[in-house]
Amino acid sequence: MLRATLRGFLAHKGRLLLSGLAVVLSVAFVAGSLIFSDTVTRTFDRLFASTAADVTVAPRRDLAPPVRTGAVRTLPASLAGRLAKVPGVAAAHVDAVVENVVVVDRRNQPVGPTTGAPTIARGWEATGRSGVRLTSGHAPHGDGEAVLDADSAGRRRVRIGDVLTVQAPTGTFRVRVAGIAAFTTTNPGSALVFLDTPTAQAKLLGSTARATGISVDAAGGVTDTELKRRVGAALGAGTYDVRTAAEQAKSAAANLGGFLKVIKYVMLGFAGIAVLVGVFLIVNTFSMLIAQRTRELGLLRALGADRGQVRRSVHIEALLLGLTGATLGLAAGIGLAAGLMRLVGTFGVRLGSAGMVIGWATPVAAYAVGVGVTFLAAGLPARRAAGVSPMAALADAEVSGTGRPLRTRALAGAVVGAAGAGALAGCAVATRTAPAVALLGAGVVLTLIATVVAGPLLARPLIRVLGGAFPALFGSVGRMSQRNALRNPRRTGATAAALTVGLALVGGMAVAGASVTRSVDRRIDQTLGADYIVQNRTYIPFSPEIGDRVRATAGTGVVVRQRLAAIAVRLPDGGRVETAASGYGPRLDAVSHLKYAAGNTAAALAPGHLAMDAGFARTHGVRIGSVLPAEFQGGRRARLTVAALTDQEQAEAFGLKGGLLLGLGTLDRYAPGGLDSALYVNAAPGTGAGPLRARLEKTLAPYPNVQVRDQADYKKLVHDQIAVLLRLVYALLGLAIVIAVLGVVNTLALSVVERTREIGLLRAIGLARRQLRRMIRLESVVIAVFGAVLGLALGLVWGVCVQRVLALEGMTALAFPWGTIVAVVAGAAAVGVVAALLPALRASRMNVLAAIAHE
Amino acid sequence: MSAHDAAPDRTRPDGPNAPNAPDDSDRVAARARGLTKAYGAGETAVLALDSVDVDVARGRFTAVMGPSGSGKSTLMHCLAGLDTVSAGQVWIGGTEITGLKDRELTRLRRDRIGFMFQSFNLIPTLSALENITLPMDIAGRAPDREWLDQVVDTLGLGNRLGHRPAQLSGGQQQRVACARALAARPELIFADEPTGNLDSRAGTEVLGFLRDAVDRLGQTVVMVTHDPNAAARSDLVLFLADGRIVDEREHPTAETVLARMRRFAQDGDQPGGPAPVGRPGILRRTSDDRFTRVCDAVAEEA
Repeated sequence: MLRATLRGFLAHKGRLLLSGLAVVLSVAFVAGSLIFSDTVTRTFDRLFASTAADVTVAPRRDLAPPVRTGAVRTLPASLAGRLAKVPGVAAAHVDAVVENVVVVDRRNQPVGPTTGAPTIARGWEATGRSGVRLTSGHAPHGDGEAVLDADSAGRRRVRIGDVLTVQAPTGTFRVRVAGIAAFTTTNPGSALVFLDTPTAQAKLLGSTARATGISVDAAGGVTDTELKRRVGAALGAGTYDVRTAAEQAKSAAANLGGFLKVIKYVMLGFAGIAVLVGVFLIVNTFSMLIAQRTRELGLLRALGADRGQVRRSVHIEALLLGLTGATLGLAAGIGLAAGLMRLVGTFGVRLGSAGMVIGWATPVAAYAVGVGVTFLAAGLPARRAAGVSPMAALADAEVSGTGRPLRTRALAGAVVGAAGAGALAGCAVATRTAPAVALLGAGVVLTLIATVVAGPLLARPLIRVLGGAFPALFGSVGRMSQRNALRNPRRTGATAAALTVGLALVGGMAVAGASVTRSVDRRIDQTLGADYIVQNRTYIPFSPEIGDRVRATAGTGVVVRQRLAAIAVRLPDGGRVETAASGYGPRLDAVSHLKYAAGNTAAALAPGHLAMDAGFARTHGVRIGSVLPAEFQGGRRARLTVAALTDQEQAEAFGLKGGLLLGLGTLDRYAPGGLDSALYVNAAPGTGAGPLRARLEKTLAPYPNVQVRDQADYKKLVHDQIAVLLRLVYALLGLAIVIAVLGVVNTLALSVVERTREIGLLRAIGLARRQLRRMIRLESVVIAVFGAVLGLALGLVWGVCVQRVLALEGMTALAFPWGTIVAVVAGAAAVGVVAALLPALRASRMNVLAAIAHE
Repeated sequence: MSAHDAAPDRTRPDGPNAPNAPDDSDRVAARARGLTKAYGAGETAVLALDSVDVDVARGRFTAVMGPSGSGKSTLMHCLAGLDTVSAGQVWIGGTEITGLKDRELTRLRRDRIGFMFQSFNLIPTLSALENITLPMDIAGRAPDREWLDQVVDTLGLGNRLGHRPAQLSGGQQQRVACARALAARPELIFADEPTGNLDSRAGTEVLGFLRDAVDRLGQTVVMVTHDPNAAARSDLVLFLADGRIVDEREHPTAETVLARMRRFAQDGDQPGGPAPVGRPGILRRTSDDRFTRVCDAVAEEA
């Protein structure tokens, strides 16, 4: 029996090739993402382990704002002296590190990365914990000298002696490059500028009495944990964050790994879709192989093989396929990880100094996915194989017919579909976000299952319609291709399912994306009254000096600064909300159209006052005149009076819960040293917006980190950011399509083999090769378009439901990306054409005589 | 049809080796000269057809008989342009088809030849009517309604036109195949064992239709068969053995055909001498018991 199975596997290896490819793809993505993330973790662990002091003292991190506020938290530098006297401390150094400086060269070009990774200015330490080693020049001494990291120097061709401008939150200053330093372990993607420590304190923090942290070295025989305890005791509990080297490395790695984590999740997304779509392909292939071998299986049964043996033989075949696929997939995953490491290398992140890391979990996961998926997918066909009766060996069933009636499917599809529709309907009418999201998830999963289950039933009516014009357009060739697609609805449904799944996802995301885009547009139209916005592309806050320069530019009228600050507010209903508040300068009304449910801008921005979203206020029992205890970064406390309630569609967008709004004066009082997030600029009366723009751009030329945008530019910026997300989804779709194409190729190839006699006859009675190829192509196209239409229909429904959920968050507009939808359907037709290439070629090359010869 | 190496009257001016076909296509529907077909090469080469010369007369019903492996199907395939020839020339009407490209051959089959096969070979997804008009649909021609009605009437398919092949009996399916072959009014119909898969009643019926097609509709039919009773319905029977035409009978009866076939069975397989090249043993081995069985069955009936 085993020998028969092995022979069978080898005999069908061509058929299994495509399924195997699906397994390889899924496993490759799983293995690749694991290897990549293991390598990232190892690299950064090493980096931060080598740079962390035995114990680090930092300002207490009491609030975690959802957005970057740009605030630099400091502690007194004198702590270093205090800590040096603590028993067990060998030395205590002052740290002065500021993460969001901008360094520009003589031509006003940024020296650091522009992708959102930080440019870090810091004090030079000779302790060997800086993570860099001086490769040329000398260490910085006094004012006006700096050391630049070698990667940035190389990228921007900066040489020793060049003059750079450093724009720090506290102001702008020039430095001369005194030395170049190379990273000793790895470059996490940022640019580094070193100043001598007192200069760093003075220039970056505004005073030599301040520091961003204290690095403490342990004396011999004192463990980090012990040292942490002693330092903590000396400072008093809860006043500062004290971390051992291990803790510090961990938290630093977690902060920096965010961007790389995104890559990991994207990769796992790819793996997920590859697995999902691959399952359909494998199920289909095994089903078809078994349908083809009904006779052979019947013979085995007639010769005395029991059901279990037949089932096992299919399982063993699946196992072999899974093992082969997983092994190849693991190898492909290693290649993929290497490619990814090279890719992030182009962003300046050099990984792999620690070598590629392949943990034990990687092969385990690879084989679990590869073998598990294949085994699972082959389960149903295996059961069907076991059900083949010995009589099948004697029957003269030449071509596998349409199979058993689809009643069970109809029933199951209807039940699951009804449940899914119910969940989606519930989601659409839900009034609170949390239950709506839950219902949406359930609805999406259930309707997807229902569509896949009922696909074969939908094939008949839908393909009748989709291929309805074929007979008229292509004559009998069109008629035959349409009917061939309907011949085995089960097979057609399963083949199209791969495309359906991918396109449903894309359809849903495209609707959501278009709706968000339109909502944001609408909000910009409704609320933004400024001629220009000055802002960083990645929303990183910038130095107030830029605002001063803008204000001083001729032709500028009103300039309103926006600043963000972390805040925690205790609410009357007993809740505490940790969020970020927006502080605006006066004359906010001139640059925006805020709607108020109660109060007005003047009241909201008055000292000690606060405005919040009316809906949020209602939920938490806040009224005009309520006095709310608030807490700012660094433990500063305030009591703020609610003076206005805003009525904004998207008050809580970007995670700014509560839509808190206060005057810039109030904000600066409790959160001093903040940076500007945006400047809203109007032209002065008598100055055209056009000339002002040119002047502003001239003013901002030395500040490449910020740009001037009018409303259209601003919308475009937002659109681009949404588009990045959609592009990711389209990439996922791309993978789904690749696998779906494999599925269509598979099905067509098998159909061509099954229909050998028919094709032979058609050729004999005069069907030209070209016509034959067209027949197969049309069949392929109609299957692909069927899958696409089904998927898009489902996706649109999902998209509408997603939009309903977003509407609860203020994104009220609904938009359908018709262009995308049309393009996707056209793309599906193209996919059909591509998938038909090989099977059609094979059919047209078929020997007519061999095809019609009687057995 | 007459086989030149066996026919007594060789009245035509051109010899078998004439470089071009004589223009008597009004009389001859298909013609082969020196038609040779070999499978394989070198030592293992097998001659399926050994320099066959043959004329298929227009408006007649010709049967080709012979033991299995005698080359009768190969002869038909070569005449119909389904198979390539190793040597020699073949004409359909006035057109030499040897040397035609696949596209031209396909068009020729589509427009000028009709086919019937043992296993019916209907397209399962098409209705009976769609199957019948398929060759014309492929060509993009509209069928001649009047003729189509006549064919459908003759074959008694009027109330079956909307059915799919799976809903028809074997005899009905073969009648549809017959209608398909006739519907386009081809110059020539090739029928490969058309009664092979039918019971005797349905077989007789189909043979009757083919006979009618020749007598009443003026068609030309070439039929390859095992069955002496089927051959008896033809105007002329050609006997093939070992790739050569070894005999022929005008206006055959089942008895005369059977008697001739019996001689093959008794003589072994070498009624006309052994095939000169290749390994004749392979050919001999393929002569099957089915043929002997048929002969015996017919003898018993007689």
